[in-house]
Amino acid sequence: MFDTALFLLADGLTNGAVYAQVALSLVLVYSVTRVVNIAQGEYVMLGALTYADLLDGRMPATMAIVVTGLALWGVTSAWTARHNRRAMMRVLGGAALACLVLAGISAGVLAAPRSAFLAMPAAILLVASLGPIVYRVTVQPNPNASTVVLVIISVGVDMVLQGVGLLFWGSSTYSVAPLANGGISVGPLFLAWQSIAIIAIAIVIMAALYAFFEFTLYGKALQATAINRLGAQFCGIPVARAGALAFFLGAAFSATSGMLLAPLVTAHYDMGFVIGLKGFVGSAMGGLIDYPLALAGVFAVGVLESTSAYAWSAYREVLVFALLIPILLWRSHRLKPGQEA
Amino acid sequence: MSVNMNGRQGGLLALGLAASLAMACGPAQAQTAKPELRIGAVFTLTGPAAPIGIPAKNGIQLLEEQLAKRTDLPFTPRFIIYDDASDPTKAVNNTRKLVTEDQVHLVICCSTTPASMAILETINSGAVPNISVASAASVIEPAAERKWTFKTPSTDKLQVTRVVDDMVARGVKKIAFFGQEDSYGEGGWMALQRVAQEKGLTIVTAERFARTDTNFTPQALKIKQANPDAVYFHAIPPSSALAQQAIRRVGYTGPTYHGGGSAIVAFIDVAKDAAEGTIISAGPLLVYRELPDAYGAKAEIMRFTQLYGAKFGADKIDIFPGQSWDAGRIAVDAAERAVKGGADLTKVEDTRKRLRDAVEATRDFPGVDGVFNYSPTDHLGLDLRSTFLTVVKNGKFTLLQR
Repeated sequence: MFDTALFLLADGLTNGAVYAQVALSLVLVYSVTRVVNIAQGEYVMLGALTYADLLDGRMPATMAIVVTGLALWGVTSAWTARHNRRAMMRVLGGAALACLVLAGISAGVLAAPRSAFLAMPAAILLVASLGPIVYRVTVQPNPNASTVVLVIISVGVDMVLQGVGLLFWGSSTYSVAPLANGGISVGPLFLAWQSIAIIAIAIVIMAALYAFFEFTLYGKALQATAINRLGAQFCGIPVARAGALAFFLGAAFSATSGMLLAPLVTAHYDMGFVIGLKGFVGSAMGGLIDYPLALAGVFAVGVLESTSAYAWSAYREVLVFALLIPILLWRSHRLKPGQEA
Repeated sequence: MSVNMNGRQGGLLALGLAASLAMACGPAQAQTAKPELRIGAVFTLTGPAAPIGIPAKNGIQLLEEQLAKRTDLPFTPRFIIYDDASDPTKAVNNTRKLVTEDQVHLVICCSTTPASMAILETINSGAVPNISVASAASVIEPAAERKWTFKTPSTDKLQVTRVVDDMVARGVKKIAFFGQEDSYGEGGWMALQRVAQEKGLTIVTAERFARTDTNFTPQALKIKQANPDAVYFHAIPPSSALAQQAIRRVGYTGPTYHGGGSAIVAFIDVAKDAAEGTIISAGPLLVYRELPDAYGAKAEIMRFTQLYGAKFGADKIDIFPGQSWDAGRIAVDAAERAVKGGADLTKVEDTRKRLRDAVEATRDFPGVDGVFNYSPTDHLGLDLRSTFLTVVKNGKFTLLQR
């Protein structure tokens, strides 16, 4: 009995670590840009598939998505700047340069011997660059949109990204080799190296994000934007650029989570959405703005998921999503009257 | 082209135009001399179920190409294909459009079970024969109420019956069910409960997972602790393969069985070593090379795999294009017989009735899914002779010999 409980706990923590990276992305994106990013899970999918492509020696289809996105961005930005020839040329040149750099990196990784340690950063960079593109194309043109409008925009982005995933990768599943095979036995528990890697990398990312916020100017600028957008703008922080940076980092974290998860469950086009939603349930505990509470939330989701899958497998999804109700009740209870969530 | 064209050039141009026009019209006119057989199809080409519908459309496209080469047909077959976007309501609208506007003689609809159920009323009231390519038996049962509906894919019940027979032969008493929590998994669960009861097996536990789940070990652990003699899985890869891996990871060593959903190469690709020794019930397509030449459908399966592989790639051959290919071929075969029996394709309503009777009279028809024998009480047409047990040996599906 005790062995089972211990096993389920370890299992739940691994689940939680996967959702944790998505939760970090969600909180980061929401606090800086006020976008409840429904599409966050799709970066998990893109990360996994891009990584699979690079490991198998194919030019990732993500490249095509990025090029199309950059073209869209270039054209729309050039149109806004059409009265200023130099600004227009700068935008178009920047987009073209970004395309070339990303294509060069992918080609370099493909030319080099296959290695997870080359493929992973390249895939993260490729997927992460989609973040700012999505921000520039969908969020930035609507600077004063309400939260609801931004949610609807992100639903649209989600549908587009998932559809594009199906278009480029098809419905097949791609196997991805784990970083290391096997695992270790700790007492009655068997822990796969991949699970340990997931938890370890999640911890590293959390620590890095903390250091970034506390010790760098960019991090402080992001935090300032999150705390008070208008005030930050008055202090000379370019909030649009902060938003693009938040989307970049968010996409990077989620993509990492997808790459670490792929060896356990394979990569396929519809893997992302549900992971995104579970990350969302966890982050709701922190009201989408509080990092430590969001992390507590996702680990609670992970453990609840594995215990309910053991005890009542037919209801485990229901239980996980029903967790949102007590979380929201608890949050509304904590707030003082008149305060906004 | 220059603006100042002289007379000779103009004459040559006119001659060329006339010649190419004549060439374009010639064969077309020869074709329209024959009446048109209109077959309407609704497949799921977009949305979550697109992976099933797109190959089905490919199967029909291939068939259309092959039929265009045949000159002996008493009609010109024309296929009209619509998308239902994974939405049963859209399937109904498109079927209605096929029946009333396009005036099709026969319908092939739909890719999914929910859509095939939703169009039953349209099919019955329109009095138009339909050959569904959905999996659940409820689409055609009871045959008395589903007078106009037939189907080609094998059913859960056939697969489960084969599996349970094998379990009984091995002396298995207690079994566990591990399946997908959607209409596909539920179909398998209903069939297993019924067949297990008939054959005297006890189901000690039933666990579920979703197609997009990331973790299967808690349920696998529960199954191991329930200590069954064998486990039956009813799901499609990758989740069925990941569940199989999980059950081996928690240390369960008993026999494992899978339904037809796992009978594709992706299962072995994903499950790898954990797939070894797994017994999977499947149609003849997976093991046709090992079947005796006397097996009725073998030649047809070889022809199909060759043609489909040449057009779409050998790795894309699976059961879904085979199901629509069979549906299309059965329809054309029935139409040939109906026309011979005096059906006039220009009289649509009468032809529909005659076509339905001709489909129901299909006997010993070799298809990719097996040998079809429709009857007034059986609108599936397949039986245990088209269901086989395969075992994974050295990373390959091989026919289970006993």
